[in-house]
Amino acid sequence: MVKLRARCVVVGDAAVGKSSLCQMFRSDGAVFQKNYSMNVGVELLEKSVSIPDTSDAVEFYIYDSAGREPFAEACENMWNQPSLMCVVFDITSEASFTSCSRWVDRVRSHCNGLQVPGVLVGNKSDLWSRREVDAAVAQSWAQSHGLEYHETSAKEIGQYEAPFLSLARAFLSLYQDQIQLIQSLA
Amino acid sequence: MLDAALSSYGAQVVLATSSDENHPPENIIDGKTETFWISTGMFPQEFIIRFPDNMKIFTVSIQSYNIKRLRIEKGTSDDADKFETVADTEFEHTESSLQANDISVNVLNTTHLRFLILSGYDHFVSVHKVSVQS
Repeated sequence: MVKLRARCVVVGDAAVGKSSLCQMFRSDGAVFQKNYSMNVGVELLEKSVSIPDTSDAVEFYIYDSAGREPFAEACENMWNQPSLMCVVFDITSEASFTSCSRWVDRVRSHCNGLQVPGVLVGNKSDLWSRREVDAAVAQSWAQSHGLEYHETSAKEIGQYEAPFLSLARAFLSLYQDQIQLIQSLA
Repeated sequence: MLDAALSSYGAQVVLATSSDENHPPENIIDGKTETFWISTGMFPQEFIIRFPDNMKIFTVSIQSYNIKRLRIEKGTSDDADKFETVADTEFEHTESSLQANDISVNVLNTTHLRFLILSGYDHFVSVHKVSVQS
């Protein structure tokens, strides 16, 4: 049994629902912000998740970062050596999807060459009638950038957890690989 | 010269910021390189070794994996609430072997050594053995 700790950077354009997703995850679905409140810095949230079918857990330190410039740039100082990344866009905004590659590059520049597992989250899936980004396109883009794709509606119970659970599993698997490598050397 | 297991001499690891029950901090001072303590994510990480008596320490030897920047501090009070840096060093990256480093510290009189791992070459770093020469 082990409890891992991960610094998880959450990025994406302004108003795509990063904070809603993070708040719902942190509060187990108890807090859905109905009104928009813009982040001008980094909000730090802490949340532990148990990984199903194991006795292990991951404690997330979530860095919910401002999406709007120039605040976003100021946030980068807080991303030192991230463990995990979560890139969020809004499925009703093509522009927010286009920005994702810029966000991924930005986070990677703080990773010191380390392998950092990540997810791409297409949020606001409840607004399907206004969809601008095709799920298949997002899926294949995510794959080509080494990210796992999730579509969520932060306001629906039972959806906001999936991206974080997949990050937790990926981090645990890195840890187990590392232990195996170390045991083979020692 | 105390190249033997520090634990047999009465030393203890009194604090460690990570703990996997399969790889406990005691593994650092059991004198074996096969057993290790591993950090479980994020930096910085630290552990503190307490000696049963005041120690004169010239060199600290440490076998580890994936540690990048390490700072060693000595305790300046008996209750280990004040520390002073005695070494600040960056290790080379090794791939197919453990890192083995001797760090000169020239400590004349202390009961505690604090090891601060400030960064790593991986998310997770391990410490296999710490020994001291006095």
